[in-house]
Amino acid sequence: MQKRLLLPALLFFSAILSAQNPSRVTIKGIVADTSGDEVVLPTVMLLNPSDSTLVNFTRGDEKGFFQLKNVKNQAYLLKVSYVGYLPLQMRLEPSATAVNDLGTLWIKPITTELLEVVVKAAKATLSIRGDTIEYDASSFKVPPGSTVEDLLRRLPGIEVDGDGNIKAQGKDVKRVYVDGKTFFGDDPKAATKNLGAETLSKVQVYNEQSEQAKLTGVDDGKKEKAMNLELKDEYKKGSFGKLTGALGNEDRWAARGNYNRFNQKEQLSFIGYGNNINQTGVNWEDYGEFKGQSTFSDFDNGDFGFNNGGGRYFVFGGDDSPLNNFDGRGFTENYGGGANYNFDNKKAKFNVSYFYNQTDLQLDQFTDRQTFAEGTSFFNSDTTQKTDFRQNHSLNTRFEKDLDSNNLLIIKAQGRLSHNDATTGQSQLFFLENGATTNRLQMEQDNDLDSWRMTSAAIFRHRFRKKGRSFAASAGYNHNRTDGSENTFSINRFFDANTFTEQIRQLNANENRAMQLKSSLLFTEPLSKKWYWETFYNFSTSSNEVDRQVADPENNGQRIDSLSIFYHYDILYNRVGSSIRYSNEGLNVSVGLAAQQLSLGGEYSRDRNAPLIADPIDRDFLNWTPNIGLSYEFKNNIWLHTNYGYNVREPQPNDLQPVPNQNNPLFRTEGNPNLDPERNHSIELNLNRWNPANMSSIGIGSNLNLYDNQIVYSQTIEALDSVGIRTTSRPENVSGGQEFNMYLWSNFPIVKTKLTMNLNGSLNFGNTPAFVNGEENETRNRGYRLNAGLNFTPGNKLIFGAGAYINPNNITYSIQEEQNQKIRNYGVNASTKWQFANKFFLESNFNYNIYRNDRYGFDRDVPIWNASVRRLIGKENRLELRLAVFDLLDRRISITQNGTQNYVVRNIAPTLARYFMLSASYNMRGYENKLNKNNWW
Amino acid sequence: MQKIVLFFTLLISFSALAQDQAPLEGRVRYLIVHDWAKKMAAVDYLSKQSRERIAYMWGNDSEWKMYANFFFTATESKYEDSEEKAEADDQGYSWRKDAYYIKRNFEKNTTYDVIEMLGKTYIVEDSLYMPEWKIHNDLKEVAGHICMKAYWEDTVKQQKVVAWFAQDIPHSGGPERFCGLPGLILEVDVNNGAMVITADLIEMKKLNKELDLPKKIKGKKIREAEYQDVLKKFLEEKRKAEEPYFWGIRY
Repeated sequence: MQKRLLLPALLFFSAILSAQNPSRVTIKGIVADTSGDEVVLPTVMLLNPSDSTLVNFTRGDEKGFFQLKNVKNQAYLLKVSYVGYLPLQMRLEPSATAVNDLGTLWIKPITTELLEVVVKAAKATLSIRGDTIEYDASSFKVPPGSTVEDLLRRLPGIEVDGDGNIKAQGKDVKRVYVDGKTFFGDDPKAATKNLGAETLSKVQVYNEQSEQAKLTGVDDGKKEKAMNLELKDEYKKGSFGKLTGALGNEDRWAARGNYNRFNQKEQLSFIGYGNNINQTGVNWEDYGEFKGQSTFSDFDNGDFGFNNGGGRYFVFGGDDSPLNNFDGRGFTENYGGGANYNFDNKKAKFNVSYFYNQTDLQLDQFTDRQTFAEGTSFFNSDTTQKTDFRQNHSLNTRFEKDLDSNNLLIIKAQGRLSHNDATTGQSQLFFLENGATTNRLQMEQDNDLDSWRMTSAAIFRHRFRKKGRSFAASAGYNHNRTDGSENTFSINRFFDANTFTEQIRQLNANENRAMQLKSSLLFTEPLSKKWYWETFYNFSTSSNEVDRQVADPENNGQRIDSLSIFYHYDILYNRVGSSIRYSNEGLNVSVGLAAQQLSLGGEYSRDRNAPLIADPIDRDFLNWTPNIGLSYEFKNNIWLHTNYGYNVREPQPNDLQPVPNQNNPLFRTEGNPNLDPERNHSIELNLNRWNPANMSSIGIGSNLNLYDNQIVYSQTIEALDSVGIRTTSRPENVSGGQEFNMYLWSNFPIVKTKLTMNLNGSLNFGNTPAFVNGEENETRNRGYRLNAGLNFTPGNKLIFGAGAYINPNNITYSIQEEQNQKIRNYGVNASTKWQFANKFFLESNFNYNIYRNDRYGFDRDVPIWNASVRRLIGKENRLELRLAVFDLLDRRISITQNGTQNYVVRNIAPTLARYFMLSASYNMRGYENKLNKNNWW
Repeated sequence: MQKIVLFFTLLISFSALAQDQAPLEGRVRYLIVHDWAKKMAAVDYLSKQSRERIAYMWGNDSEWKMYANFFFTATESKYEDSEEKAEADDQGYSWRKDAYYIKRNFEKNTTYDVIEMLGKTYIVEDSLYMPEWKIHNDLKEVAGHICMKAYWEDTVKQQKVVAWFAQDIPHSGGPERFCGLPGLILEVDVNNGAMVITADLIEMKKLNKELDLPKKIKGKKIREAEYQDVLKKFLEEKRKAEEPYFWGIRY
């Protein structure tokens, strides 16, 4: 408004400007209040009139007099700012004289009410932007349930009459907009009477051209008051989703879709999929979008222990997450879907999600296995046919609330109901080193298993007033239940004509129950600024019940006593530990010690309520477990992390049972009631360096496990008449086992942003002692892997990758050194991503893998080539059509080879080979019409 | 306009008092809130979908808080990260701090900045680096002071910077490398909330040795133009590689 008043004056000034303006000028004036009061030390700024850039500034004196000396003589925007006053802005033209005296500049105070809003309400913002006055709606308190009209009544400068007509600064408000758009026609009252006050973030009042001027486009100079109601972000809604359908040859199909709705506080999502192309779950990206804000939940571990004060960490997924985990063998048909809801208002978070998935697997598998005993060995060659149907319902929920700024509560629970129905037919051919076949075992087995698992936990964290002092407590209850039945039938035929064919039929009923109750406490005390003392306590008690009843269907379903068992098993666990930590300047060192007490108790009988068949187990273990941790962040982005710990793990109840399990007449598993807990020293060392300047990184990670006491499965191999070569496996304690792993990785540019290289290497060494027929055998594994890759990005339209790896694995057996194995896997790969025209993309991926084991003359080459072309359609690229071929050369097969303990095994399983597929996808947000060089999630 | 009630007692005396009696010397503690999902959202060369996915998945967990101190006299100032921790859940874990000191002399118009970035320590010694601020009319209260809005677009880092400077603290300093306004900068918002620096404590007091720099600082001495070149080159490479630029340099 002031501008308008000053305009004629300015025009007058510029009109009398002469051509000989001085190059430098002094601008002066006096700032005064319209009421005549003194303006003390006002701020006077000179701005560039074209874009308001600050050119110079000064302060006036106590009387408001100011002077800008020797400034360039040009046009300026002069701006006066003073606390409590509306900023004054005026345009200055180049001055004709060396001194440009502006005389008195009058500034107007902001009204009391407006000013109070600005000054008093702590977070209030009231901005005045030219003609617009903007109110921060949240700083005006209205009772819950109030309408916008109620809120408007409280805004200074705004009046609302009994009928709801609005006046701003004395003028009628003709139009009310919501987020800049007309709300239900032109009636300004429609929005103010219907919208809730709590939905608003801002109220803006401004002058607008009259409707007439808008229509004609001729500015008639008339301005009308208009009001815009800006909604809070949380009332801003959004949604996104994708839908894909695909059909291929040989009845291949796939479909998947997801839909998300969200606002600032809530996220609701649905996901579903079905296919017969071996996608057993959802991919990482889709799962992240499905879980939304609850994808990562930090500090959820209630089992406090050493290094709990070690910074911040996040957990993704978890055991139950329905991510794609197909192991490469066989053919599957899959269905799944779920819903997820998140709520987060910064004080409380709530998540609940449900997921259902099912997989139907058809598997044929060929296994060759050689087993060694002292001075001898035998082979078995197996063919397995399996159908396996699995389904799961899982329900997850988590609640987190800041009770106040010092208290946090987390409650979470997880339930999972599963059903599994499997039929296995297996034929095992046994033969000796000289090639002579001994027997063929044919087995058929039907399995039916229902299981229920529930875990729950509550975690409470409290921070004391003293900085750094904190306390945490947790409690948890877990429950497991499985009910299963097994129907097995086996025929053992002997090639030696003198031996009869053996037939075994067995019906097994298994019922297991487990219940666990646990609790932990953690207390952190700062001893000084750099020293902390942490103490924790863990308690857990669990009660387990295993009931396995074996019946003979050929004998009226009579129980087979020797194979049936019922047992109770209780574990009581207590641990108390304490550590001292030093934390300063990127160095964190902690040294601690814990005492851990474990009590195991078990009772074994043939059936519930039947007399005991063995002495009850009642064992106590006390262990002292030290722990040392060190992490240091060097200058230049180098991180070192090292840790030493002593770990103790109790034996599994299954390993302690005194009655053998014999579903397969040639492979028995026995328990060992005298088993001790497994104990090992573990040392971990990680060193990473990242160089942001040349975009390279290098890292080394390693860990070493030294076993004082390891649980291993010793084997007894016997050639029995009318049975064949029978292997009995029994858990035992041995010492001297070692594992060492090392991983080295590096990534560096050869030509910056164009060509990068990565080099990775790893070592996996292991020494595993075990007994074979009473004789100690040490199996030594020496595995190496070296991987090199190049990534070439000549431009934005083409990305090319190439790589190769070698993966030798040497296995030696101390009881039979002549059987030492050299397993070799090699491979090369090449990939291309090419945007060959606008909206057209070509992707190709080629892998060539070689599997060898010279001892058996085994040598298989598996080349796999996948390729696809896709096209984006529509203005927003919402539609994508893709033609893809998987395994163009029709060679896909699953091969695994490995050797441990006293055997070497090789598995070959056919799986989905060549197929073509045409798919159409719709993405509500649109697909990106470019190649992504990185996937920064 | 007829509703305007003239109001001129309280504030005039308040501002006059503040300037007449207290010497222009003291400390400002700034709370810095980093929001890495919003930082990601501002990197326009990354895929829009991946930026949206980050914002959707990290929700309200993407913030990281820290404190910094600004010590000032009428002619000098020093800005550095504070030892004080703003993150409550840190439980005493100590992170290494990159060296970062911004020492200015407004009388001599010089700056001496120690900046560790990209694995190196640079010492920028030059005349004061003043952004080209655009002054807006908006007013807002920060830490008890009425502030005016200024805006600057950093063309090197490609950041949109909104600064709020106090009308009644006649000091041209501010947090980080921001300065050159008629009043002390009390709030800075970079890229729509990706980093928000807010003064939460203003103490007018006599300083002792707070303005001194640590005695032994080793680093490569460069001029402002060279510093900008290092940044420019790094950002250009990151843009080409389509990687976020803010890991490795101060935001």
